[in-house]
Amino acid sequence: MINTTTEIEDLVNPTFLVDRPWVTIVWDDPVNLMSYVTYVFITVFEYSKERANQLMLQVHNEGKAVVSSGRREEMERDVQRLHERGLWATLQRDDQ
Amino acid sequence: MSNTPGFTRHGDNSFIAKFSASERDVLINLSEQLIEILAERIDAVDSDPLAAMIGITGHDSPPDDDVLLRLLPNAYADPVDSAEFRRYTESVLRDKKRLHAMAIRSHLLNSPHGDESRVEVDQENAQAWLGAMNDIRLALGVRLKVEENSHEHLELLAPDDPMRGVYAVYSWLGWLQESLVLALMDDAQE
Repeated sequence: MINTTTEIEDLVNPTFLVDRPWVTIVWDDPVNLMSYVTYVFITVFEYSKERANQLMLQVHNEGKAVVSSGRREEMERDVQRLHERGLWATLQRDDQ
Repeated sequence: MSNTPGFTRHGDNSFIAKFSASERDVLINLSEQLIEILAERIDAVDSDPLAAMIGITGHDSPPDDDVLLRLLPNAYADPVDSAEFRRYTESVLRDKKRLHAMAIRSHLLNSPHGDESRVEVDQENAQAWLGAMNDIRLALGVRLKVEENSHEHLELLAPDDPMRGVYAVYSWLGWLQESLVLALMDDAQE
């Protein structure tokens, strides 16, 4: 008996099965003020002050942080809004 | 450079700062330089009215100048994706940044001034101030080659080093921007 499940799984490219989201990444920048970066996360993403502060610290200490995820068009919009405010942001497919 | 407390909150929607005549001059001058730098990216392709209407810029390659590249950064690590994104978005980003700088300049020119000038902004105008102050600091930061631990070095610049004055303005602007962020955050917290 043919194992249908296996055959179909072999046929379908895994990227079609899992809709991997896109992510917006903010990179550490020696010029931007820590308080300002926190404020931008609050105003752009409506994050709580606590979450915004946590993300800012992650950017500062680890060099970068994923600040949002979703569809590619949404991430392009987020990157645009961050660039408007002078943050160094890029988007990419989530590689986790 | 200043004895004033920077921006302070007055009620729900008013933020006031006072500037000396020289501080006012420096801010106006830097806003004008920012407007000028951003204008360098406008070229003939932008004068195509249809392309301009839908926000398509002629540029799809990143700026050569380091200051412009920091103000108008790449959105993707991949150069092809980055070029495509830039073609459709750069002119919009550039216009927003120019509008922020123009807003600062016009607030300063239209505020009461003499030995001391007084600028009052609401929440919305405060965003333009934050954006423009940050862009000016990014530009100065590129010129000063600011890095994570370069402050100690910059603090010790010789009195005759032309970068010393630039660094003084850079530090003062950081302090001014911080005062406005904190005044705005008072509200965000409550």
